[in-house]
Amino acid sequence: MKEYPKFLYRAVEDKTIVWAENTNEYLVLENTTADILEKIDNGISVKEIAANLTKKIAVPLDKTTDFVLDLEKKIRTPKAKKESITINNYTTVKKPAQFKFTKYYKINSLIFKVEFYSEYELYLVHPKFAHLEVENNYKTSFTFTVFLNNTVVFLSVDNTIIGAWDKKEIHFFQGKFSMELTQKIHQKEENKWLGVFHASAVSNEEKAVLFLGGSGNGKSTSLALLQRSGFTCLADDFVPIDKDKKEVYSFPAAISIKKNSLKTLLPLYPELENSAEYSFERLHKIVRYLKPNNTNLLSHLPCKDLVFIKYEKNSDLKFDRISKIEAFQQLVPDSWLSPIKENAEVFLDWFDTLNCYQITYSKNKKMIASVTKIFNDEV
Amino acid sequence: MENQNSKKENISRKGALKKIGSYGKYAALTALGTYLILNPQKAQATSPENPGTGF
Repeated sequence: MKEYPKFLYRAVEDKTIVWAENTNEYLVLENTTADILEKIDNGISVKEIAANLTKKIAVPLDKTTDFVLDLEKKIRTPKAKKESITINNYTTVKKPAQFKFTKYYKINSLIFKVEFYSEYELYLVHPKFAHLEVENNYKTSFTFTVFLNNTVVFLSVDNTIIGAWDKKEIHFFQGKFSMELTQKIHQKEENKWLGVFHASAVSNEEKAVLFLGGSGNGKSTSLALLQRSGFTCLADDFVPIDKDKKEVYSFPAAISIKKNSLKTLLPLYPELENSAEYSFERLHKIVRYLKPNNTNLLSHLPCKDLVFIKYEKNSDLKFDRISKIEAFQQLVPDSWLSPIKENAEVFLDWFDTLNCYQITYSKNKKMIASVTKIFNDEV
Repeated sequence: MENQNSKKENISRKGALKKIGSYGKYAALTALGTYLILNPQKAQATSPENPGTGF
């Protein structure tokens, strides 16, 4: 017997979001279509569903029957599980005997010892965490090891290999490194997280606001500006949200500042003048790293507001509420979302509570004033 | 803030727009059968940043 995938249904505005367990895909369907899918799932006959649809939309029965059958075939039929991006066949790989660099990072009371085989591995991780580096005067809490073998980067934590990634998919290695760090800092295993957003999280110590937007839209620059205006940087680029509290958790990585933002930020952060510059040639990016101002790296806060932010030269301020469905379309493809059914359900619950906005700006003060309004519930 | 949905042009869709089938002149069915698939990232990721030679 075919094992049919399980679905979750959530009406949002004038659509229904449907989550498929076997693929971890989110579908945005018309309400009527989602309703038909749910009826098929509940064992109601195609004949009955098609007859009802014919009554509802005045289309001949043979056509609505085709539609219901097509829907069943296209969406309900089990699909193959997606391939994993990690390389699993690494049983013969041995950890190197020597490491060129060993760094110690202090996060709250935890000391992370990280061993890097060579300069290549060092620069995959260290620039973002250099501000947390300490001398080796403490007892190590966890040991992370990073080494390249041929074209594959390996990560082990306390001598257990966590994964291996091709050099071409290095952002997944960095994501896993960050995830392992998050799990240790906040003492929650991976199944306790709803997801990780590619966003910036800003707080006023009471609640968090998430900033989203494509690369180059000015998320990190906006975050740096807000941080200078009295807000706290909870996380940049890697924003975890947990299942139990449905809150956004702090992540201690530095804020990456692109070269073209320096002019704006140097007057506010003179320390950027002399900070190391890193060149990501393949991406035509030159960045410096700015220390986040969060002092409580254990903090986690509720988040009810999501802002798509965009810096646009010479533009007037545009500050609008946007539809949740629009926001969802942008949020999901950029995020890691837990494939566990229970977590997907909680994620949809959480998403349902959000207010979604869009801010386009060129004047920093106007952007900061708009964000302050969101924090103060004055929108 | 009553200006809902007016700024769609700035938000790009990253999902795939799909059609369940083709129903000719029955536009109502075509509309019902148009949907969007959104795939989350396969695993946790950071912004794609990779060291070049500029260190």
